[in-house]
Amino acid sequence: MASIARSALLKQAASASKFSNTSMAQVRRHDEQLQLLYFDPSNRSPHVVNDPAPVPPTSPSHGSYHWTFDRLIAASLIPLTVAPFAAGSLNPTMDAVLAAMILIHSHTGFQAIIVDYIPTKRLPKTRKAFMWGLNVATAVVGLALYEFETTDVGLTETIKRIWQA
Amino acid sequence: MKTFQIYRWNPDTPTEKPRMQSYTLDLNKTGPMVLDALIRIKNELDPTLTFRRSCREGICGSCAMNINGTNTLACLCRIPAEDAAETKIYPLPHTYVVKDLVPDLTLFYKQYKSIKPYLQRDTPSPDGKEYRQSKADRRKLDGLYECILCACCSTSCPSYWWNSEEYLGPAILLQSYRWLADSRDERTQERYDALNNSMSLYRCHTILNCTRTCPKGLNPGLAIANIKKEMSF
Amino acid sequence: MIAQRLGTTALRRVAAKPDAFFTANSAARLGLASSQMSMMQTRPVATQKLTPVDGDAILAKQRLQRPVSPHLEIYDKKQTWFGGSAWQRITGAGFSGGLYVFATAYLVAPAIGWHLESASIAAAVAALPLALKGGLKFFIAWPFVFHSINGVRHLLFDLGKGFSRTNIIRTGWYLWGASIVGGLYVAFFL
Repeated sequence: MASIARSALLKQAASASKFSNTSMAQVRRHDEQLQLLYFDPSNRSPHVVNDPAPVPPTSPSHGSYHWTFDRLIAASLIPLTVAPFAAGSLNPTMDAVLAAMILIHSHTGFQAIIVDYIPTKRLPKTRKAFMWGLNVATAVVGLALYEFETTDVGLTETIKRIWQA
Repeated sequence: MKTFQIYRWNPDTPTEKPRMQSYTLDLNKTGPMVLDALIRIKNELDPTLTFRRSCREGICGSCAMNINGTNTLACLCRIPAEDAAETKIYPLPHTYVVKDLVPDLTLFYKQYKSIKPYLQRDTPSPDGKEYRQSKADRRKLDGLYECILCACCSTSCPSYWWNSEEYLGPAILLQSYRWLADSRDERTQERYDALNNSMSLYRCHTILNCTRTCPKGLNPGLAIANIKKEMSF
Repeated sequence: MIAQRLGTTALRRVAAKPDAFFTANSAARLGLASSQMSMMQTRPVATQKLTPVDGDAILAKQRLQRPVSPHLEIYDKKQTWFGGSAWQRITGAGFSGGLYVFATAYLVAPAIGWHLESASIAAAVAALPLALKGGLKFFIAWPFVFHSINGVRHLLFDLGKGFSRTNIIRTGWYLWGASIVGGLYVAFFL
């Protein structure tokens, strides 16, 4: 009803000669612009706010498998860290396993910190540098722990000695 | 009498830094909720104070803001009765401020759209009528469908603060789970695949600010834990 | 919208002169309030044509100037600064960081002439005064106990247990109490 009134009025308006800034043609053009804006997607600007956020490609190795692996390592650390308290110390094999689990747990923990605080989009080179730095550091620490386990007395025994010094 | 300290910023003078402005109200003449106080301030003290509001009953989600440190709906948050303490009101944390207490939720809505929050089915229903669902299956949606998308939980999550663009946030993940748990939806594997990367879901470190702050009493943390469990193997 | 403005402007101008279409009869039938219109003055409104691309450009410029609302400074500090997850990360990173530094130092020690074998460290610690020894032990014991207990709490969360709001808040405080007591026990009684 309102649209009928409007178009009738506009016809009236157009026919009256007093209207300097409007004309039937201009009115029609405005109407067409509105149509294009709302109904023709190809005419919209590139940054349409209504588009969905991009969905990243599927990567279970970085997603679900990583999460599951992380929880399994963390769960395995519970008996491994309780045992030394209960038994006083650990035999060399268990000590080595504990050291390895701690190393992997530390590595995934540091990875999470880097992923959280150094976004690839804003700081791509820094992120890459830190990730590689972490890999190198973990390898070095792995070597050090191997040396420590073999040439020295092992992690749990060392802590015991320091504690009771 | 109670003093309110409210965050102000005017986009018409963008070079001026955001500031806190104090307003004092007689609580005897004001309604019990923070939104009543804000409306009274706008009506009587400062008409330029800008905030979103609509239903005034906690169902539309417009008046979500940070009151005394936690995110909640202003229309459901009672004004603390003690006169001495000031009530501090900020917009939702780590969002771009359009004006005063109005946050820019564009990214939030784009992320909501990206999870395809609608029923996706390839097969028609067996009898050609409704897509039937048992009562037990319908109960799985309780605690999920009531979300009003107020964004209180997502903007309370430090992971979402640091990684808004890639991490979906508790609200959107709760809605993801609402569609994953819906027995009538058939594209479950696709929905899992969309979440299976390092950022969209797994930036959640069970900080649990989300569950603590939800003004509707929902549990986004639990929903996210359920998604992770279902995706784990 | 521009067209609407056009409509009302035209409406006002046409209303200025009486017209067959605008008899009170037809106006009333169409639900138009003729009294309102005849009292309105004509106020030509200046409008500016804007394409959608221009509009987006203005919006983009506005967005660049928007501030980020405060977060860490104002959010409930019991949840952010005393939160279990934050201290889990701090204690974990502290411990692992220490381990990494020690391990690297252990590897390069022979080259520099340091002695970092277990025996020498034990001897060095034995030589410290009692207060310092106790302090050092608590400094190491508390993060370990905190990280372990909170680790178990997080693994329970991962299994889907303990998500009620009261449980989250309560276990958060128990955690602090238990870690301090546990740390003291490990430091001074083991």
